[in-house]
This record gives sequence, structure tokens and C-alpha cells, in this order.
Amino acid sequence: MPGKNSIVIRLVLVITLSSAVIFAVTLGYNYYQSRVILQNELESNARNLAMSLVNKVEIQLTAVTKVTEGLARYVETDKHTEQKLLSLIRTTVENNPEIYGAFVAFEPYAFSAKSRLYAPYYYRQKGKIVFEGLENSYIDYPYPYWDWYQIPRELGKLEWSEPYFDEGAGNILMSTCSMPFYKEINGKKQLQGIVGSDISLDALTEYISSVKILRTGYAALLTRNGTILAHPLKHAIMNDSFFSIAEERQEPFLRELGKKMVRGETGFVHYKSLVGFTSWMYYTPIPSTGWTLAVLFPEAELLENVRKLSMTMAAMGFGGILLLTLAVIYIARAIIKPLQLLTAATDEVAAGNFDVALPAVHSNDEVGILTRDFQAMQASLKEYIKNLTETTAAKERIQSELKVATNIQASLLPRIFPPFPDHPEFEIYASMVPAKEVGGDFYDFFFIDEKNLCFLIADVSDKGVPAALYMMVAKTLLKTEGQRLGEPDKMLSSVNKILATNNDTCMFTTVFCAILDITTGDVRFANAGHNPPLIIDSQGVRYITPKPGLMLGAMTETVFVTERLTLEQEGILFLYTDGVTEAKNPEDALYGEERLQKALQTAPQGDLTNLIHYISSEVAYHASGAPQSDDITMLAIKMTRNNVSIECAGKGA
Amino acid sequence: MDLQTRIENNAIVVTISGRLDAVTAPDYEKRIRELIDSGNSYFVVDFEQLDYISSAGLRALLLMAKLLKEKSGQVCLANVKGNVRSVFDMSGFTTIFNMEDSIAAALAALI
Repeated sequence: MPGKNSIVIRLVLVITLSSAVIFAVTLGYNYYQSRVILQNELESNARNLAMSLVNKVEIQLTAVTKVTEGLARYVETDKHTEQKLLSLIRTTVENNPEIYGAFVAFEPYAFSAKSRLYAPYYYRQKGKIVFEGLENSYIDYPYPYWDWYQIPRELGKLEWSEPYFDEGAGNILMSTCSMPFYKEINGKKQLQGIVGSDISLDALTEYISSVKILRTGYAALLTRNGTILAHPLKHAIMNDSFFSIAEERQEPFLRELGKKMVRGETGFVHYKSLVGFTSWMYYTPIPSTGWTLAVLFPEAELLENVRKLSMTMAAMGFGGILLLTLAVIYIARAIIKPLQLLTAATDEVAAGNFDVALPAVHSNDEVGILTRDFQAMQASLKEYIKNLTETTAAKERIQSELKVATNIQASLLPRIFPPFPDHPEFEIYASMVPAKEVGGDFYDFFFIDEKNLCFLIADVSDKGVPAALYMMVAKTLLKTEGQRLGEPDKMLSSVNKILATNNDTCMFTTVFCAILDITTGDVRFANAGHNPPLIIDSQGVRYITPKPGLMLGAMTETVFVTERLTLEQEGILFLYTDGVTEAKNPEDALYGEERLQKALQTAPQGDLTNLIHYISSEVAYHASGAPQSDDITMLAIKMTRNNVSIECAGKGA
Repeated sequence: MDLQTRIENNAIVVTISGRLDAVTAPDYEKRIRELIDSGNSYFVVDFEQLDYISSAGLRALLLMAKLLKEKSGQVCLANVKGNVRSVFDMSGFTTIFNMEDSIAAALAALI
């Protein structure tokens, strides 16, 4: 059975595909939305984390700033001796463990007119506090020229230096917080020197480095000019800056990002970290130093849970769709099965076996209804076929009866030609082709006496059996009355009276009736509403114009008139019914009287049989296959030359 | 054949178009019978648009005339011309039917 599973396949395909699409879209949307939510949450989480780190750093830095400011204020206000100053510096270092070292560096000759430079410095070394005179430490490049001295001096405010390695004192990474101090001389503030505290950044960077975000995320610290202070890439610390890495890796995006950080901006970006994984980064400046703190969240780890959830959902969805497919197959099969059974049964019915049992109906669903409908159809088909058989049989019976009727009707018309072989004075030929099995047209000819031949053509209104019955009556009447009365007008009047009386159906017949004197060619004729005949003689082919009488059977009181003409030797009188002139072709064009007249001009006139057959074929040619709608009847009569010779012979005898 | 009827001056004006032949005549006969049976007895039949009439059509007209005669009614034909007119002339129907050249004249000719 071709395509027996096509409904199943289509159902499965459509349902599975559409649910898969729906599921995929839902899953995709869910994943996307989770990402968006996660990202939003992440931004605030990142900000909080960064802020808390910044705060921690800031607390330490602020402490150092405070110490430096305190020291400066003290140096400014107090009239101190060298001893007192040194003890102050030392105590400051001692009391503030977050400070690595502290110094007071004077302007040239500001401390004492004796010595140009003076800068006492206490710092920690191996747990002890050690003194160093900075004026002696930098012989080639004295301290007033160093950044930590110059920058606050020029700016006139507290400054944090860029982190640097102090190679002299224990190789540690430090940053110096330094600020200028003044003395009021003559109401004017005069710069006396720079006070500073060093902070070891090792603890700070270690703290930042120890921050772990998820598994591989980290926090990083950059200096004001982008140098890396704290970062998982250990080798980059103090060796590379964000910009040098951007240069090396040829990443303009990194450079732009670096610029933003150095400008002290805050931001949240999605980017590929220096370590190499895609991440979300939040960066923000540390206010007091202008350094940048960044926290990085690895994207893969962030989305891990969402991914896992999505994968689980996908697996569940796949399982669900599989289950759905199986369910659809099951249902489709359940629906198809009775349909298949029904199809098999209806195939049988289609093959003509109306007695085949249709599958039993168990359900009230569509298939059940269909089966019941088929049962009803089967029953009515059976009934219909039975009726059809009966009707056909009846029709065949009528058909065969009609055939007999056709034969009877045909046998009523004179059919043996020549009908009067012992009368060479004239020739006569006629034909009638009914449109249905039996027709309403007829012709007749008979002798009234020795020399008067009555011939007529008639057309009963309507066709078929009623017309045929009427025709029989009319024909019989015309013959008996013709033989009794011997004149066309009297014949017609008499027959009309008989036919018109009690003619409830209003059937009528047109008749052209004529009596030929075969010795002279004189013709007396009367017309009861029939088509005018044609005459063919030495003057050509033309219609005669008989007075129009009313057809027989219409009105009892109809008056007919006998008219006369003479048929010359070789002259032909051609009678026909409207079946000839009203024969139609497929375009509904009538054959017409004009065509008939022309056809008669060209028709062979020697033999009447040929003449009539010629006209028949012309009419058939015109009809070119269109069904014949009316009986076609023609009658031709011709005076022969033999007439004279016989007459002469008669006289001579 | 198409057949329309309307009432004008207490008479039924029947307009027929197309062909009145063996196929359409029974329909014509049926419609006319209905009209006559429902009490109408004055008719004008407009032949203006009739292309063809066969003997069956003539029979239907004759029947109509007979039915009306029984009820003392009348029928007048209007605009009988062309082909149809020649059939009328030939069959002698011209002598048994009132015929006028327009519907107005036909209506006037009734009574």
C-alpha cells in the first residue's frame, strides 16, 4: 500500500519538529536571559568586591597618609632639636607597623646654616629600626632631585610616589607618601622640606594576589601609569605595564582600556584577560594613589551553572520529544489502523463487491463516523445499482419496443421505389429520417383514380411517440379522405375537422397536399401551414408561394384553397419539411431556404434518388456532426418525357 | 429561452427571448398554464427578442389560445417579426392570432 504511513510520518514530523523548535527557542531564550540576569548581578557583585578591596587598600594607605601628615604638622609647629627630631622619626616608625620607614628631608640650609643637606631616615631592617642619613645616601644624585622630593615640593601637597624597588634597603617593593612642610617667616609660608613615609607594598600586593574569584578569577592592581603591581602573571609585576603588553600583543582594545584606567575611570567590560580567558572585568581607581584595582570574573566559570542547567534541560527536552514522538506514532497508528481496514474494505466496494463487510464500528470518533457513513453509502450504492439495473432493463425494453415502432412507422410509408413501375409518365422518390426512434414527419402518395396521383408531405408538431401516434391517425385520414374527396382543399378541410375536434393536446400537423394529373402535368395543391415547396424546371429553381392555410388540427373552421400549377416535362416539384431547412451546425446556424435553393441548382436532376441523396448529404455536411434535432423528410416528383410518348402511343393504339 | 412576466394595464405582459422549440416549449406551456390557472385572462406576448419558433412552440401558443378561449380571455402578440414572422405566415398562424407592432398597441388591442 503506497504511502500507508504517510499520515503517521507527517504527524510525527510536524509534531516533533514543531515541539523541537518550540523547545529550542525556549531553551535559547532561557539561556540568554540567564546570561543577562547573571551579567546584571555580576556587575553589582563585581562593584561590591572591587569596592571592598579598594576600601581595604585605602585604609592602609590612609593610615600612612595620616602618619605622614601628623609628622609634617609636628615638624612644622615644634621648635625641635636634632635629637628630638630623630627621636620623633624613630618613634613614628616604631609605633606604626604599617610604615616601613619615615624621613624628614630639609631644604638646603633649612635645618642648619652649617650643613647644606639634612635628611634623617629611619627604616626597618630585619626587625630592627635602622638610621640612615639620606644626605649621604645619594652622593651622585642628591635627594632634592628625586621624584619623591620634587613632586610634592612643586605641587605643594601630599603625593604618593609610583611604586618602586628599594634596592638599598632589603629589596622590597615600596611606595612613598611624601608632603611638604613649611615655616612661617615674617608672615610668609616658607618651604622647609619634605616629610615622607614608606610603605611596603609586598603585603598589599600579596593580599590582592590572594583574592580568588571563582576558580581562576583574580584581582589585579595597576599603578598610575599602568605598571602592573599585582597580577597572577608574576613576571609582569613591575616589569610590564598594561600598555607594553598591549603593544606586544598588538591589541588596540587593551591600549584603550589602559588609557581609561590611567584616567581614573570606572568600568565594567567583557574582554579577554591578560591570562587568556574570556572574562568580565570591573575596574575602579584607588582614590588616594590613583592606582587602578581590577577584579576579573572568568565567563566560562560564571556560566558553568547556566550551561549545566541548559544541558540538563536539553537532555530532558530531548527525552520528552522522544517520548512525544513515540506517543504520536502510537496515536497515529491507532487512528490509521481502522482507516486501513476501512480502505481495504472500500477497495472491495470500489471493485464492485457491495456485499463486503465493513470493519465493525467501536468508537464514535471521526473514523467511526466515516465507517458508518461508508456503510450508509454502501447500502445506498447497492440500492442504486439495483434500481439502475431495473431501470436499464426497463429502458432496454422500451428501446426494443421503440425499435419495433420505428419499423412499423417506416413500413407505413411507401418505401418501394419506383412505386409505380407501370407509370413511366412520372418519377417519384421520397425519404424520411426521424430524429428520434419514431418521427412526426410523413409523406404519402396514392392514386385517386387512373390519372390523378395524390402526393403529400406532412409534419406533426413535436416529435417522438405522441407525434408518431398522431401521424398515424393523420396519415390514415388523409389517405381515406383523399381517396374519397379527390380535391386538396376538401381533403384538408375534412381531415382538419376530424383532427381539430376534441384536440385537447393541441397537436397539429402541417400538410402540403397536391394532386397531379399525370397525363397533363397539372397540379392542384393546397397548403396547411407547411413549408412552401420548390419547383425545378426550365425557368430555374424557385419556391412556389402557396396561400398560407392554417395547419390541420388547430381550429375546426379553417378554410383551405386549392391552387394550380403545371409541371412541365422534366419539371420537378420538391417537397420538404423544416427538418431540412432548420438543420443546425455546431454554431447553431440553420441550413436555410437559400442554401436549399442553391443546392437544388447544383444537384443532379436526372435521377430523383440521386437528387434527394445529394440534398441529404449537403444537409449532413452543413450539420457537420451536430445532432439532428428534427425529422428530415423530402419528396420529389418529376414529369418525364415518356409522358408524351406514351400518350402518343396511346393515341396511336 | 428566458421568460419574464409583468403586469401592465391589468394584463400580463410575457416577454420571451431565445428559442421556443421542443426543448423550451413545455416550460413555456407550464408557466402560461400557471398564470391562467391563477386567474389571469388577458395576455400580451412580446416576441421582440424571440429568435426562433418551432412547431412545438406554435403548439404551445395554440394551446395558450385555447385555454384562454375557455376562460373568455384574450391574447395579443407583439413584435412578431423576422424568422418568427415568416413561420407565422407560412403556418397560417397570422390568421388566427391578434398581432400588433408594439406592446402598447397590443395592450390597447385587448378588449
